[in-house]
Amino acid sequence: KQVAAVFRDAQRTTASHRKLAVTLRKIQEACCYEPTSTKKGATAEEFDEDDFNSEFMRCVLRVMPVKKSESVGEKTIRFIGLFLRHSIDKDNEVMGEADPDASTMPETPGTRLTTHLMETILPLLQAKDKFVRYRSTQLISHIINSLDAIDDDLFQKLRSGLLKRIRDKEAMVRAQAVLGLGRLAGNQADAEPNSDDSQDEATSGLLDKLLEVLQNDPSADVRRSLLVNLPILPNTLPFLLERARDQDAATRRAVYSRLLPALGDFRHLSLSMREKLLRWGLRDRDENVRKAAGRLFRERWIEDCAGTPPPQESGQPAEVSPPNIDALLELLERIDVINSGGENGVALEAMKGFWEGRPDYREAMVFDDQFFETLSAESVFVCRTFNDFCRNEGNGKFESLVEEKLPEVTKVAFYLERYIKVLIDAIKRAEEQEDLEEDEEEDTVEQEFIVEQLLHIALTLDYSDEVGRRKMFSLLRQTLSIPELPDEVTKLTVNVLRDICAPDAAGEKEFCSIVLEAVADVHDTIVDEPVPDDNESFHSAQSELSDDDDIPTKSKKNKGPELSEEEAAAKAIKEIMINMKCLHIVQCMLTNVAGDLQQNDHLVAMLNNLVVPAVRSHEAPVRERGLLCLGLCSLLDRSLAEENLTLFMHFFSKGHTALQITALQILTDILNVHGAQLLAANPTLLKVYIKALRSGAKHPEVQAAAVVAVSKLLLGRVVSDHEFSAELLKTLVIAYFEPASADNQSVRQALNYFLPVFCYSRTENQDLMRSVALDALHTLYNVREGLEDDDADVDEEMVSLTTIGACLIDWTDPRKCYYPGRETVDADKKHVNGDVHLEFAKDILDRLDTNIHKEEKKIIAPLLGKLYVSPLSSEEKTREVYQEVCLAVDGQLLSDATGRNALYKLHVGLGKIVNTLDAA
Amino acid sequence: PVEPTKTRKEKQPFEIDFESPLDSSGADAIYTQATSNTTISLAKKDWKSKSRNLLPDDKHFSSKQLLNLFLKPKARLSNRKQRTSSSRIGNVDSQRPADVPEG
Repeated sequence: KQVAAVFRDAQRTTASHRKLAVTLRKIQEACCYEPTSTKKGATAEEFDEDDFNSEFMRCVLRVMPVKKSESVGEKTIRFIGLFLRHSIDKDNEVMGEADPDASTMPETPGTRLTTHLMETILPLLQAKDKFVRYRSTQLISHIINSLDAIDDDLFQKLRSGLLKRIRDKEAMVRAQAVLGLGRLAGNQADAEPNSDDSQDEATSGLLDKLLEVLQNDPSADVRRSLLVNLPILPNTLPFLLERARDQDAATRRAVYSRLLPALGDFRHLSLSMREKLLRWGLRDRDENVRKAAGRLFRERWIEDCAGTPPPQESGQPAEVSPPNIDALLELLERIDVINSGGENGVALEAMKGFWEGRPDYREAMVFDDQFFETLSAESVFVCRTFNDFCRNEGNGKFESLVEEKLPEVTKVAFYLERYIKVLIDAIKRAEEQEDLEEDEEEDTVEQEFIVEQLLHIALTLDYSDEVGRRKMFSLLRQTLSIPELPDEVTKLTVNVLRDICAPDAAGEKEFCSIVLEAVADVHDTIVDEPVPDDNESFHSAQSELSDDDDIPTKSKKNKGPELSEEEAAAKAIKEIMINMKCLHIVQCMLTNVAGDLQQNDHLVAMLNNLVVPAVRSHEAPVRERGLLCLGLCSLLDRSLAEENLTLFMHFFSKGHTALQITALQILTDILNVHGAQLLAANPTLLKVYIKALRSGAKHPEVQAAAVVAVSKLLLGRVVSDHEFSAELLKTLVIAYFEPASADNQSVRQALNYFLPVFCYSRTENQDLMRSVALDALHTLYNVREGLEDDDADVDEEMVSLTTIGACLIDWTDPRKCYYPGRETVDADKKHVNGDVHLEFAKDILDRLDTNIHKEEKKIIAPLLGKLYVSPLSSEEKTREVYQEVCLAVDGQLLSDATGRNALYKLHVGLGKIVNTLDAA
Repeated sequence: PVEPTKTRKEKQPFEIDFESPLDSSGADAIYTQATSNTTISLAKKDWKSKSRNLLPDDKHFSSKQLLNLFLKPKARLSNRKQRTSSSRIGNVDSQRPADVPEG
């Protein structure tokens, strides 16, 4: 009839839905309302409301079995929703102005049809057929979402019907159920919160259930569907925001592209939440999430600060307000730029994206005298990130922009001088006052931040202008002599100084000499005070490394008899502080030095007079910083490194966690710089690494540092000895899989990166992996056995041995390995030399022939079937392995079916190749 | 360019036939109820996810961390390049010139 024809058209395109709804409404009116005039009654309209409704329902039911993949199903369902809404609206018009405050809904043909439909569809929610469940859930949820109000009784039924479906076996059904329930939960939350206790309880019950699904549902579609459909309330928000770390990238992205823009003003979020969201989003592993987070920052959050109302739901793009510097400054303040704008802080990335995506702001910036005279943490950060962006991005196309906007070197130096003075004054003031006013301390922090940012700018400037260069040079030289200078500022000052000096060896010498002059100045401040008696400690004659009687005795010498105990103690502390400061400056300097130590007298003197005494100091902090400096010196001199290897190892075995890590890093850098002989000559060094790699249970941080260290050594081929590298690699493989490292994400993620990169980068590496694979698997087998004895949840702690076996096969697969020059022919050349896997086959067969446990055999035998067999393998090896395989087949080496099948598969594969070889 | 047209022709657009009466298999599908709630429900063990489906803390590990020195992060380009370049580029001999013992 006509109803069916309307449905037929409605499934084709949504474009005509509005028109079709009007048509269908006319039919409905004709059936339901008494003809207003008798003259129309003649046209054989003998159908009444029941007829219409049952015909309507007949059509609706036809949609129910339609598969999810067919778009006609969804189109029809959307039409049904649209029609019901249209119908009810029209009914209300017919009824005239209904009382808006009426507590019960008026009964109309439209609402009767809706109720009838819902009652008919509800039982289908329990259908056996999954598509019927899917469509019925979809229909109900859709109708819920397209209507304004629902009858109370019906509401309860729908709610309980849908609630069952949030545990449906099919994710597609759950995703639909959650759509409808999200709306129901939202509706109730909107209603008077204290109207009815029982209903309130029902709501929170419903919300709780949905929040539980949001966290636990295995399907990302379901979680995402909830994320965008749950009402945003104080008690749901934490759960919604948590999805910024969802395992599914599209769900994480939805947090940034849908939830957060819809949230309204971001300033309602807590400061730490803003920082977390930015950090998670901008550093996400998925590019689309990063993009969405960047857009949120530069297009939404900035608008919140500019005072633009949030965009309308209707989807028209929000109006972008013109560049507003105050808004930008507020935005930075709202993300606490003093803390988030430091090194590794997320504000740096946020602003990089900001400059990238906001050319209007790029153009609008003005960095004039007025700007520099009134710097705040926020404004200086704007300038610093603008400068970084223009100099590092866009292949130099923004260089002219920054040249034009930023003042010249002399002027930057001038402002830098001014803010350094402000900073030092603030620090001195703070030192004098015992009890610090809180905002004064905050002020010092801000001044420090401003100086740091100016130094970051100074790091990028062009010092070809001699006047500017000299100005900056002398300013920094003087600045470095100030003992109160904070560490980070010191570091940056030293870095800029290195940049100002020429990059060649002469420049490096000049750099060292002026930094060491500053160190001497700082050191002299100990002497400057009451007793000017010490000229031995720093300017002393050379002392040899092995010279044991050169223990620093400054404190004794300075101690005049007239000093009280209290004064003496204060003096000792001051000395330690000054010593620490000197060592820190030296450390910053050394990280910038690359030349030979022996060629530089300044460095030799510094080593003997400052670093060596520090290493022997009785004060632990001084000793440890001295150690680091000694390590840095060792990178510049091979013999120094050799002499001190034992010392560094000693610090590793006796030190606390942080010191152990430092020692490991020093040792690794030394090996990287001076080569493998040092390792070969010191077998105990290998033990240090193995011990560190196995320290996971007690010291996870040490294990993490060791994993990176050993990865470097192996990848850089610093370890040349086969046995050493095999032992290290095996230990890494075990560390990767064993449950002890399950919670150590640093270890897991580093190895997840390193192991494939290592194996696939060189044939030799792959063969090394092959040679340790079965030993590692054996160890892991034992680990796993140990677990099974006392724990039921083995699978949660450790992946299965089958999976581990598959990884080992994969890492040694020669097709995945990089060969120089092979990438060009990769596409059409199907086969590669497969000797690695032939060797692997031999290893496995040998192992199977020993008396290892039957269960372990069951793990390794199936690996035979996964090996890559290639006609390009060397003939000799192919024949050799084929022989062994034949023997194994004849000798019935394997008793279980799976293992036998794997062996047969290899047998057949090799057999074919051997036949071809024979025929040739 | 030939491929897409091919696949497009193969697929007949599916339409629901609203005019004809429901056949018995369709009616079966619609009206057959599941034998029990458990057969159409998610296994209870999947109701809870230990990780709450969240990612572990990202450590942002990258090649950078393997290519520079711990103590001198900036030094990798100047310092190590000349040292390793000769052996990196296709030189099968794993002996590095710099590593040959002096004397």
